[in-house]
Amino acid sequence: MTSESAATAADVDAMNSVGEACTDMKREYDQCFNRWFAEKFLKGDGSGDPCTDLFKRYQQCVQKAIKEKEIPIEGLEFMGHGKEKPESSS
Amino acid sequence: MNPAHIRKVALCAHRPHGCGPVRSPRRSHGTTAHVMCGLSAESRPAHRVLTLRPRTERSIPGPGASLAALCGAMRVWSSEHVFGHPWDTVIKAAMRKYPNPMNPCVVGVDVLERSVDGRGRLHSHRLLSTEWGLPSLVRAILGTSRTLTYIREHSVVDPVEKKMELCSTNITLTNLVSVSERLVYTPHPEDPGKTVLTQEAVITVKGVSLGSYLESLMANTISSNAKKGWAAIEWIIENAERALS
Repeated sequence: MTSESAATAADVDAMNSVGEACTDMKREYDQCFNRWFAEKFLKGDGSGDPCTDLFKRYQQCVQKAIKEKEIPIEGLEFMGHGKEKPESSS
Repeated sequence: MNPAHIRKVALCAHRPHGCGPVRSPRRSHGTTAHVMCGLSAESRPAHRVLTLRPRTERSIPGPGASLAALCGAMRVWSSEHVFGHPWDTVIKAAMRKYPNPMNPCVVGVDVLERSVDGRGRLHSHRLLSTEWGLPSLVRAILGTSRTLTYIREHSVVDPVEKKMELCSTNITLTNLVSVSERLVYTPHPEDPGKTVLTQEAVITVKGVSLGSYLESLMANTISSNAKKGWAAIEWIIENAERALS
């Protein structure tokens, strides 16, 4: 039963990264995030993010890929904790 | 990078709180249109019958009017859709929407940034890469051989208010066309076992003599893609239920 659900989870999460070298990191991060999102965040416990380290490594890889492929992402370096997009109203 | 390269069109200006500030329109010349994946393929959701209340296309009033004057052509598509699942279930599926068999053209998805704001809402900025298949004649007319397009997506999930808002726009081919979409998932006001998705798209095509033809083509594609998107969410819900637990 665990292998079946693991296979399903692997299929569902088997999306590639935009940077080929980042795919494994992305999948590892996604699994961590999806678990936290479903079990903690949606249930009201948004504090604490167990995926921070995974995300940092993954993000570094993606940023490198974006530069290499010259994908026009603006403001990526300045993004931090939602500062770039101010939320002023509901 | 040039900030004007990214355009969140009038769509997001209507609701700046969800999608961020609208950048000033970019003057550009172009005779090509970006069409999202799925132009040549039509598919209907294979799963349960879902309620659909499409609205007819209309021109954007207000802020959009000046963009329309500047850019020559603009069209809005909107729709409302009901999923027979509670909001939490739909949101979990929406966050892990790709890959799915209904959207094979999405070939890469990455999270650029993610954080929880002071109000407990989760912000995610994602980059999607899509491979789109245009008929070769259309591509010859449009004058592009590019097939890989990048889309930037910003989503906000409010677990207390139970609202997920998602805005996306293409960040390549922006000198030719701009396609922006906004999706809002909320619990059904009368039935907590259901979720309502309201969806809008804005297409801006510049200086195209085939403008209205390409616009209807794109509107049809967006409509068709929206249906695939609903089916994709259903597919994820049904196939990932075991995995999600």
